Amino acid sequence: MTAAEGIRVLVADDDPDIRDLVEFKLTQAGYAVEAVGDGLSAWEAFQTEPPALVILDVMMPGLSGIDVLRKIRESGAATVPVLMLSAKSRDSDVDTGFAVGADDYVIKPFSPRELLHRVNGILARVR
Amino acid sequence: MSWDGLVDGLRSTVAWLMHITSTPILIYFTVINLSYLALIVLAFVDFRAQHRRREAIVETFGGALTPGVSLVVPAYNEEAGIVTAVQALLSLRYPRHEVVAVDDGSTDATFERLRDAFDLVPIPREIPQDVPTRARVIDVHVPRDGRTRLIVVRKENSGRSEAINVGVNAATEPLVTMVDADSILEPDALLRVTQPFVDDPNRMVAAGGAIRPVNGSRVVSGRIVKVQMPTSWLARIQVVEYLRAFLLGRTGWARFGALILISGAFGIFRRDVIVEVGGLDPDSIGEDFELVLRIHRRLRDEDRDYRVAFVPEPVLWTEVPSTTSVLRSQRRRWHRGLWETLWAYRGMLFRRRYGRVGFVALPYFWIFELFAPLLEMFGIIIVPLALALGVVNVPYGILFLVLAYGLAVLVTLSAMAAEEWAFHRHERWRDLGLSLAASVLENFGYRQLTVWWRLEGWWASLRRKKQVWGVMTRTGFDEAGG
Amino acid sequence: MSARGILWGSTALVLLACLVLVLLIVATKVTRTLRDRRTSALVAPHRADLLAVGSGEDEDGTHRDALIAVEGPAREALDDALVDLLAKVRGVPAEELAAVLLAHGAVDRAPHDLKHRSTVRRARAAHLLGLCHVGAALPLVVDALRDPAAEVRVAATRALGLLREPSAAPPLLAAVGADRAVPAGPAGDALEQLGVGIADALRDGLLATSPTTRTVAAYLSGEGTFTRSIDLLRLSLRTDEDPVVRATAAVALGRMGRTADVAVLLEGTQTHQPIELRRACAAALGDLGDPSAVDGLRALLADPDPRIAEIAATSLLRLGPIGRAAVDGAPTNASIESARAVARLQGSLS
Repeated sequence: MTAAEGIRVLVADDDPDIRDLVEFKLTQAGYAVEAVGDGLSAWEAFQTEPPALVILDVMMPGLSGIDVLRKIRESGAATVPVLMLSAKSRDSDVDTGFAVGADDYVIKPFSPRELLHRVNGILARVR
Repeated sequence: MSWDGLVDGLRSTVAWLMHITSTPILIYFTVINLSYLALIVLAFVDFRAQHRRREAIVETFGGALTPGVSLVVPAYNEEAGIVTAVQALLSLRYPRHEVVAVDDGSTDATFERLRDAFDLVPIPREIPQDVPTRARVIDVHVPRDGRTRLIVVRKENSGRSEAINVGVNAATEPLVTMVDADSILEPDALLRVTQPFVDDPNRMVAAGGAIRPVNGSRVVSGRIVKVQMPTSWLARIQVVEYLRAFLLGRTGWARFGALILISGAFGIFRRDVIVEVGGLDPDSIGEDFELVLRIHRRLRDEDRDYRVAFVPEPVLWTEVPSTTSVLRSQRRRWHRGLWETLWAYRGMLFRRRYGRVGFVALPYFWIFELFAPLLEMFGIIIVPLALALGVVNVPYGILFLVLAYGLAVLVTLSAMAAEEWAFHRHERWRDLGLSLAASVLENFGYRQLTVWWRLEGWWASLRRKKQVWGVMTRTGFDEAGG
Repeated sequence: MSARGILWGSTALVLLACLVLVLLIVATKVTRTLRDRRTSALVAPHRADLLAVGSGEDEDGTHRDALIAVEGPAREALDDALVDLLAKVRGVPAEELAAVLLAHGAVDRAPHDLKHRSTVRRARAAHLLGLCHVGAALPLVVDALRDPAAEVRVAATRALGLLREPSAAPPLLAAVGADRAVPAGPAGDALEQLGVGIADALRDGLLATSPTTRTVAAYLSGEGTFTRSIDLLRLSLRTDEDPVVRATAAVALGRMGRTADVAVLLEGTQTHQPIELRRACAAALGDLGDPSAVDGLRALLADPDPRIAEIAATSLLRLGPIGRAAVDGAPTNASIESARAVARLQGSLS
């Protein structure tokens, strides 16, 4: 298990249950989690200080996850890894996400354990 | 004749008028507002049934039978916002959609901005004439990346309706919707507004979505991130107006099975049905309204089983007039369009073949939408006059006005109550308070002004028509600011 | 009663109603806020346990047991929170959450709740039975497809998808075309989860009286590559009276058809057919990818409808060297050039 050492992770999801679950799981694993409830807050938090990893729900009111992803990829800290959370879908959400520059995708309903593995994996690759 | 004699004569005339008209007018006001309440009750029932389903809808992204959508964007001299608008539309959350932008012979840099932003290249495509159009298509461009689903068509200038028809011709998906370049769609708007087609793919032919004024709300990257009430009272009153009219009036009618007015700016249609009825009528100022009636007439003539639905949750946000002069020309145009379309389709009235549309919806629109300003104007004139001449005493006069306008406020408050229950979009207490204030304020000047403007539009239309062998011909309008 | 009296009375009534409404609006907002707060307050003490179980951080089961031990009014609020959470996770956490619901008796109550007076309770009961995979409740959930409330019908549809019993396919297909109809899309989603055992039900669905049922059956046949439906799909394409069914059949045949299906698709492109069907069939021939379609597609290259000509050219370009040769050999026109240009942009043509 990767030593999380308080690595900063930003989580954005308008569903409080998912937000809390992800925050809980990652905090238990040692990450320092900042959780927000909409796209605009996520973008503002990212600009304040880019985290080591961003987890975005695709579907959020106002700025969607894809919108925020696009802004991140066009920003100064464009290489920050991004993991997308999406409802079960045919394909297009995933295609768009990868096309815009997502690093990974987790489909809901999701396995928290699998999510953690993917987070660890992405961060290990980046370092 | 002496001055006193004149006044006496006037007094007895007014007294006589009041005597014969006061009861019918009161009944009119009561019926119109009670009918609105009935529509609101119908809408409310619908809200309760759909409420929880609505939350689940956007989870079924790309579910079975989700149809493709073509967004037709007619554009004339929109260089300022066209790129943001198209970008926002392309990035809507939907599994399969394309944007068809039609440059209606813009004289500014509308096309150039698009070309630069999306790296457009020309292709020699010939656009089919499924809907016959008069104007010439100049060329067709697509993005060089071969992946972005955007088609830009340039044509000779001939107006919005023809631009939309060309867009329909160029569209490749089975559903078509028309979006103006200055409107904002919610990211999940397409998911919501196509839901009726997903639920009933065989019969659904058209669906409408509610519109809200965007004035005052916070917009970032072409998305609404915070809904807020506008700062000007004119715009605030319109927020309340739209709420009442679109959110509830339409939903109620749809539930009743007789939705004829989809909206002024947002409707989604099956492409093959638009083609079948011949597209938008470029000579009609009624636009979407006229199209919907034409669809009703055609499908009922053919005795086809079909449905028209309305999605009450706001899907489209648009800038509403913030000055009285722009508002005036808008209201004149709307009422003129209403009149001309109702007149053109008068053959549908009270014919059994046209069911609820012919027996209920159309007569309702004639009596309570078309003639409403006329009767209101009569009331506005006669009651103060009667008061001034002492024909009626002050308490009676005030009572009359309170009953007439009090009912209107009641209707608006019901709309707000239902909206608050179903959607609770106005988060801040302050905004709720502003809405309540606006719904009362509406009756102190705004309403009377719109009455006058609607009559102006109607009169302008009547004056300009010439009856030639039973065929209506026009001598020409000034469209811009008309 | 005098006219004056009526006027006073109605005015008073109107003003009273206005007052009631203003209070109603305010009360609605307040009640909602209070209710949400109350529910949160009941659940709050157990939130940590909920999250622990829901995120799979409950190795020894202490959190799960703590949740099971909850009694009183908090239990009901907690059950609702559990159901919400259960819909969002899968794997061991989902099983554990379901175990708590089982221990609370919520699962046992659910079949009974399907007959409850309240629509919300019936819908939630169906939802719960699906989430907890209570296969024994299948007949009851199937019955709920005919519930008077639309919300319950939709919940039952979704639940059947989660229960994954192929025997639910015939009632689902029938419900799509019933008077108290189930929406076609969600029914299609549910059917997709029922596995390959629904092949016969799809065949029967293709012959149903309701065009919506036929559409859903045709759609699923294509999506799930149910080749057993092919002969009926051909029939639908040729003879169905509903244009949506015909178009759906064309798409399905394009997806999974073989050489033998080229003929019926070409038939669909003939000039007497409705224009939308012609285009759909021309596109489907490109999907199908069988070279025997070349001659028929080539004939369309000069069609007066430029869209079908372009679709035919695009389909030919997708058929490999034979198709490309046919396009190159034909007298050129705007549609062919356009198809070539687009193919070049997409990188499928050099």
